[in-house]
Amino acid sequence: MLTTVVGNYPKIANRRESDAPKAASATFNPNATSITTATATAGDNTTLPTNLRRALALFDEGKLTADQLKEVQDNITIEVIKEQEAAGLDIITDGHIRWADDQTYIAGKIKGFTLSGLLRYFDSNTYYRQPVADGKLSAAGPILLADYQFAAAHANKPVKVSLDGPYTLARLSKNEHYKSDEDFALALADILNAEAKALLKAGAPIIQFDEPAILRHKGDFALFAKLMARLTADLDQSKLALYTYFGNLDGLDHYFELPFGSFGIDLTDDYGRDSWAWLNFFPKGKTLGLGIVDARNTRLETVAELVAKINELPENIDRSAVQVSPNCGLEFLPRERAQEKLTRMVEAVKSVSR
Amino acid sequence: MVQGLLTTSVGSFPKPAYLLEARNRFAKGAISAEELNQLEKQATREWITFQEEIGVDILVDGEMYRGDMATYFAERLDGFSISGLVRSYGNRYYRKPVAVGDIRWREPISVEMFKYAQSLTDKPVKGMLTGPYTMMDWSFNEHYANREALAMALAEAIHQEAVELENAGAKYIQIDEPAVSTRPEELEIAIKAMAVVTNGLRAHTLTHICYGDFEKIYPRMLDIPVDQIDLEMANSHYDLLDTFRKAKFTKAIGLGVVDVHSHVMESVDEVADGIRRTLEVIPASQIYVDPDCGLKTRTVEEAKDKMRVVVEATKRVKAELN
Repeated sequence: MLTTVVGNYPKIANRRESDAPKAASATFNPNATSITTATATAGDNTTLPTNLRRALALFDEGKLTADQLKEVQDNITIEVIKEQEAAGLDIITDGHIRWADDQTYIAGKIKGFTLSGLLRYFDSNTYYRQPVADGKLSAAGPILLADYQFAAAHANKPVKVSLDGPYTLARLSKNEHYKSDEDFALALADILNAEAKALLKAGAPIIQFDEPAILRHKGDFALFAKLMARLTADLDQSKLALYTYFGNLDGLDHYFELPFGSFGIDLTDDYGRDSWAWLNFFPKGKTLGLGIVDARNTRLETVAELVAKINELPENIDRSAVQVSPNCGLEFLPRERAQEKLTRMVEAVKSVSR
Repeated sequence: MVQGLLTTSVGSFPKPAYLLEARNRFAKGAISAEELNQLEKQATREWITFQEEIGVDILVDGEMYRGDMATYFAERLDGFSISGLVRSYGNRYYRKPVAVGDIRWREPISVEMFKYAQSLTDKPVKGMLTGPYTMMDWSFNEHYANREALAMALAEAIHQEAVELENAGAKYIQIDEPAVSTRPEELEIAIKAMAVVTNGLRAHTLTHICYGDFEKIYPRMLDIPVDQIDLEMANSHYDLLDTFRKAKFTKAIGLGVVDVHSHVMESVDEVADGIRRTLEVIPASQIYVDPDCGLKTRTVEEAKDKMRVVVEATKRVKAELN
């Protein structure tokens, strides 16, 4: 039984800037004292902020160059990689540190999209800029390849790549170009298929597509299945994961027949109570992403509580093919609470594996 | 003389520059709470004066003392702590309330500022509260068994604050529930919680709900136990009027007629037209005219201009009806 995360990771630590470790680009020394002050000026490489919020503000004011901002993002990516490894996770992500949100980072790099006004992200109190397709969609090249390679080079654990699948990305965007929403989503599926191909070729161990939107529009399942077929065409299925959250699987009878090697499921009390029953139908030979840590609430699960949940797994589930995780990305939480939750999750999995 | 078509606003106005600066200085410990309070009163006085000058009927204090509408109340109730930073969008972060113990009303929260604002004018000033469903939805819950239990505990506390406002003379008490439209399946919780808040109040009660998936909560939404529901109409181009034609809007409506998220200034013509279209569906006696939402995200000048348009357009339509 392994442990992993779903995708994004809180970008800002709640420590004072002066307490922050100095994240030099290649090595991480948590005992180093900070050199950072808020006085960075363009072209001055010696005083980069260690806080991304500050760095983005300085960048907006023109006091930080794009290269300097990238360096800060690199440093914080390394920082969250080390944090995930320190928590004991088996499979990690780059934390999406460079992403403004899960939609616009991808859509912003696809030609044919423009970014529009703020919209609420599902039922959360967070917002994203809505991508609007006002032309034919095309990607000039791989979108996440450089990010993956950077993260993989700085990680000791396997780094999976996670991103919105075509259905969710289409649902959260607006189509002003394609004749039908189906054509729009299919165009996205083709682009993301090419993306996955490039990432797998570069050695990415897992490409995870997040499709929370299907749980809120279950009547679209036939279209969804078609999109998933296009998305995964000619790819090594065993390396593809499909994650859903913010809802349950009721009514999606053919969900586990979709062409993925791994299915991540939200099994938290708020959303996934009714999904437990579906585990009885989980197919042999597939990996189960067990989303039992609530990434939407700060309440800390106890190790015993998590152990009890893992022990609720039905007999048919091969425990060696289970990856325990939070139900969704961790960015809804303050950084320190996210870390504590991960530490407890790892502890729980260790104790059932003993 | 036509009854109804009273003008008001949803709650917040932008804070003047001197107050923003003072809040920063207060956060850094450079000025005292008393000094900050004096400046909040000064800004409140300026907004009351402005509303009186342009002829608004039901006034607000402008919420010069609030940061976030949930955190402001949470910080003043027993049972809450405040989280580390979480992201709202882009590079915007905020601190979220965390329910860590039994939620209890401790002492009046909004009453002093209400009394102060009301003392400056003979027109009614609204008492302004954040509703229990929204407080719950915008908080982390580490204490109560589920979302409903937290919302109901909050309802008791907010009811107590509403009673205090009423005893202090509030004729209108607004209990904002902007989160209600985000989880249609939880509308029942919001209704149940609001019943506790408004229980036994004699004041005119109203709630503001932000734009959302109204098809899923209308007409059931009309069961929220308040006298008036305040809605954003301008930013959805009055689409809801079609919904109200199919199922009658039975309460008083707070009719949002200017888009608070846009720098673009509506003309008196287009706002008057929106009011006239609404009159085809809802009688004048049931209509209160206001901006879509709080104006705090606009500049002071934009907010004032938008309020002037609201008042001018309403005057014009009233004159036609007379």
